[in-house]
Amino acid sequence: MLRLALSNLRANWTRFLATAAAVVVGVAFLAAGLMLTDAVRVSLLGSVEQQYAGVDLAVTTAGEFANLGDAGESVSPLGADSLALVRAVPGVVAAAPVTTAEVRVLKPDGEAVSLRTQGRPWIVDDELNPLTLDSGRAPTAGGEVVVDRATADRAGLRTGSTVVLETPLGERTAKVVGISSFGRSAAVDPGGTVSFFENEAALVLGGGRVSWSQILVRTAGGGAPVTQSLQQVLPPLAQVVTAEDVVEREQRVLNTFVDVLRPVLTGFAFLSLFVCAFVIFNTFSVVVTQRFRELALVRAVGGTPAQVRRSLMVEGVLVGLVASAVGLVAGAALSVGLQALLSRFDVPLPGAGVKVTTGTVVMGLVVGTLVTVASVAVPAFRAGRTKPVEAMRSSAFDRSGTSKVRLVLGGAALAAAVGVLLGAKAGALPKALLGGGTLFMFTALVVGGPLLARVFSKLLSFPMRAFGLTGRLAADNCARNPKRTATTANALVIGLFLVTLVTVSGTAVKSWAVSRLNTLSGSDYIVSSRSGIPDDVVAKIGTTKGVEGSAGVRSVVLRPDGGSPFIVSTTDFEQLARTSGVKVATGSLDTVANGDGVAIIDQQELLKNLLGDATGQDLAGTGDPSADPGATIDLGGTTTKVGDQVEVPALDGSPVVLTVAATLKAKLDALTLGNLVGPSTFARVAGEQPVRFVFVRTDPSQTEQVGLRLEQLTRSYTTIDVQPGNFVGQFVGQALDFLINAVNALLAMSLLVALIGIVNTMTLSIIERRQELGMVRALGMTRGQVGTMVALESVLLGTLGTLVGVGTGLFLGWVLVGSLGQGISLNVDWGRIGLIALAGVAVGALASLLPTRRATRVRVLEAMQPT
Amino acid sequence: MTTTEAAQVEWAAQVHDATKRYGKGDSTVMALNGVTVGFQKGRFTAIMGPSGSGKSTLMQCAAGLDQLTSGRAFIGSAELGRLSEKQLTLLRREKVGFVFQQFNLLPTLTAGENIAFPLRLAKRRPDKAWMDQVVQTVGLADRLDHKPSELSGGQQQRVAVARALVERPEIIFADEPTGNLDTHSSGEILSFMQTAVRDLGQTVVMVTHDPGAASYADRVLFLTDGRLTGEVMAPTVDSVLAAMRQTVA
Repeated sequence: MLRLALSNLRANWTRFLATAAAVVVGVAFLAAGLMLTDAVRVSLLGSVEQQYAGVDLAVTTAGEFANLGDAGESVSPLGADSLALVRAVPGVVAAAPVTTAEVRVLKPDGEAVSLRTQGRPWIVDDELNPLTLDSGRAPTAGGEVVVDRATADRAGLRTGSTVVLETPLGERTAKVVGISSFGRSAAVDPGGTVSFFENEAALVLGGGRVSWSQILVRTAGGGAPVTQSLQQVLPPLAQVVTAEDVVEREQRVLNTFVDVLRPVLTGFAFLSLFVCAFVIFNTFSVVVTQRFRELALVRAVGGTPAQVRRSLMVEGVLVGLVASAVGLVAGAALSVGLQALLSRFDVPLPGAGVKVTTGTVVMGLVVGTLVTVASVAVPAFRAGRTKPVEAMRSSAFDRSGTSKVRLVLGGAALAAAVGVLLGAKAGALPKALLGGGTLFMFTALVVGGPLLARVFSKLLSFPMRAFGLTGRLAADNCARNPKRTATTANALVIGLFLVTLVTVSGTAVKSWAVSRLNTLSGSDYIVSSRSGIPDDVVAKIGTTKGVEGSAGVRSVVLRPDGGSPFIVSTTDFEQLARTSGVKVATGSLDTVANGDGVAIIDQQELLKNLLGDATGQDLAGTGDPSADPGATIDLGGTTTKVGDQVEVPALDGSPVVLTVAATLKAKLDALTLGNLVGPSTFARVAGEQPVRFVFVRTDPSQTEQVGLRLEQLTRSYTTIDVQPGNFVGQFVGQALDFLINAVNALLAMSLLVALIGIVNTMTLSIIERRQELGMVRALGMTRGQVGTMVALESVLLGTLGTLVGVGTGLFLGWVLVGSLGQGISLNVDWGRIGLIALAGVAVGALASLLPTRRATRVRVLEAMQPT
Repeated sequence: MTTTEAAQVEWAAQVHDATKRYGKGDSTVMALNGVTVGFQKGRFTAIMGPSGSGKSTLMQCAAGLDQLTSGRAFIGSAELGRLSEKQLTLLRREKVGFVFQQFNLLPTLTAGENIAFPLRLAKRRPDKAWMDQVVQTVGLADRLDHKPSELSGGQQQRVAVARALVERPEIIFADEPTGNLDTHSSGEILSFMQTAVRDLGQTVVMVTHDPGAASYADRVLFLTDGRLTGEVMAPTVDSVLAAMRQTVA
């Protein structure tokens, strides 16, 4: 039987090409996802090891490693004095400070090479420094920099060139004194690295204040005693760890990133493989039908049903294996292409090239083959039942229609699913049934598909009559084999259903969230910077034309060891009242401004504002939008009242106890402030800190112009952002838009598979109908008419899939959004839905090109030659 | 042996010095080797010959379904070799009727729609009286709304004959029209074609290897190895069998 299977594959390879194409695409997506994440992981992990190769110990901030070497929102206690202390400890051979901040390298035309270039201090000690010099020398004074070789190439820089940089301190001109490499790649940072002289880096990258995120240490040997003496001289919030610890902890964080990326990518790959299964099943069914006589012949000469079945299964395994192997290669190419594409859009992924692991190869082969074999099983089983006498019959058409059983079952399942969903939406049934109902609905669509296909083909045959006889025949052909039509259309249905659902419900949630958030905003503009806004810039904001008031807020996010982030801030209280939406709910700000009082936000009121009464209770304590995801702000408990005492951890680690003097109304501005204290208290808790954001109130008649002026003022400061007061709403809106688009882009993969599916089914049914096509040609149908007929059939298939897919998506979107309650309205963007529908129909039209070509080439004489 | 001497005769179709070669080099097959023949209007002609004699090729070339290697073919006054693919298609649609051995009907259309199919392709309205007469002749009046799958093999071929008749073509080509039918149905179909020629003035050319079927024709031509090798006028089963023995010998 293996020999029979092999010779069948050889003889019919063009037909299997169609099946194989679907497997190849599915496996390619899967493999590309795996290879890409593997490449990123290996390169990230490898570069971390390389980065710390010569390091013995590292001084870092205690608690979370969230800042990961970038001047994040957490304020590091490591300043200039810390570095001096470390260097003075006996046993320390070399100590190098680390911090990073965005720096933009401007090309001669004024455009930035990349928006992701990082500035770092140049590490003098060769063993601590992961970078090597390709040419030139290290920076030895302010105004000298080393750039990585890729950035140098892109900006046309050489040793001795003068370069214009945008930094957290604004625009600066520097002289390139050297070109660097990082191992075999150009730079540590995917967007490039600019290395500054240490003293200059401290000021420029910290926005005017020295704040190191890490100090790397090389010892003379024997880490333990040095660790102890370091710990003794440093502030309590500083922590001394071994290089292994740092590597391990940084790698763990990076792994988390990959661990999030990977299931998302593979999840979509599996979805497209699921769609592939429909296509493979369909293609194989048609192939088996076409070979009915041949199979009957095998039976007639003594092949048992089991042998026929086995032979087809072996064919399936072979096609699956070969196609999966091709898919793996295609996946590798895809992942390279994807990387190239991403880096063109300035989103370079760390680690170029392809990382092929045994796991990926095995997974691709196994999954691809399994999907193929599973999809082949049903047609193979059916083929086993072929009667020997079929060999004598002249023709075999797959005339399987819609059986009564299927009709009743499909109709009932569909009705039940719709009933359950409507019930759950109206609240008559528990909401938990929504998930089950959705699944149920989907099953019903698959079971009842042929029924829908027949009904829709009949309905669509009326508008098709506008195309005359050819339109009529196209509609008839669609209805001819409802089962096959349905399976083909289902591939399209799945994709379009999900795209529509995500778009409809995503848009509804977005507009609801944005409108909610916008009611909470107060000031006209917020100017902010993670690394701090230089004081002269703060002053200039205040004197910008059209600005009626500005309040610069100094704030720190403290991360007490093992605890949640804790925001403490201070500002000019008079300006604050004028510029922001911060309002006192209870108590008074007087003792806050002049004494040791603290003003906090009533968290319950905030949640009530954000989420409405019902869900506010459920979600209490799960976080707020401005904090890190997953983190909660400890505001001293939701029950805190005026007069209560709260403990605040100071930057040096000692606890400071404050009395609650006021609670603030839950506006976003208040949320940004966190715990508001007076200047003297702030100095006690956080020492000297830069202004991190400025609330701006404008002359109402020139709000827009002020925005442009502020943009202009801060343009060359890389870390400063100017955002309208409702920026949270805008940000959330943009984030959700991005999410919707990203998900839809990934879902587009399944549309591609559906396209292949329609091409397959159409092409095979053209082969099947070639005598009929020859006959109509003999009777006087022109090539053009035949072409139109086939194209219309394909478009009809696309339309069928589109109607069912988009329709189901809209319905489920309506049900899901409706069941959320809270007055979320379903604002369907019909233009967008129209575009989605157009895409579906276009898939049908596009798919018709190949079959049409094939159909118009059918020779007239074929009608007269009995097969 | 040729039939061109009668000047006043009207030809529905003719081929002159027709050759048709398949393949190249050693494997060359001469399916037609210098055949000249005309099919007179209003006559029922049968073409006979053993397998591989070229009888189907002759019909296909005369009907414009295939092209001659050399020689000329005419339908009415139109020379087929000078027509484009599109013109040939339109010629077939308007001037030629076909009845095949199988795959004659579109399975999704009813019998009535199948009959009107060539007319609808040409966007012409069927002539109601003529349509009725044709349907009456083939005895399908009560079956027009049935799909082909609901008709017997004989009924399906009757539909095919009706379709060929309804467009009132210059000539009808039938390729083994009774090849798949039982004796009774065969007899019916052949009688209809005979009636179409004698009473309705149509012209029919039929390829067959069945002497019984050939005996319904007015004239039988014999083909052997791509050449015309015999002719019987007003044939009977016996005279056809006799001629067959002669040509094979």
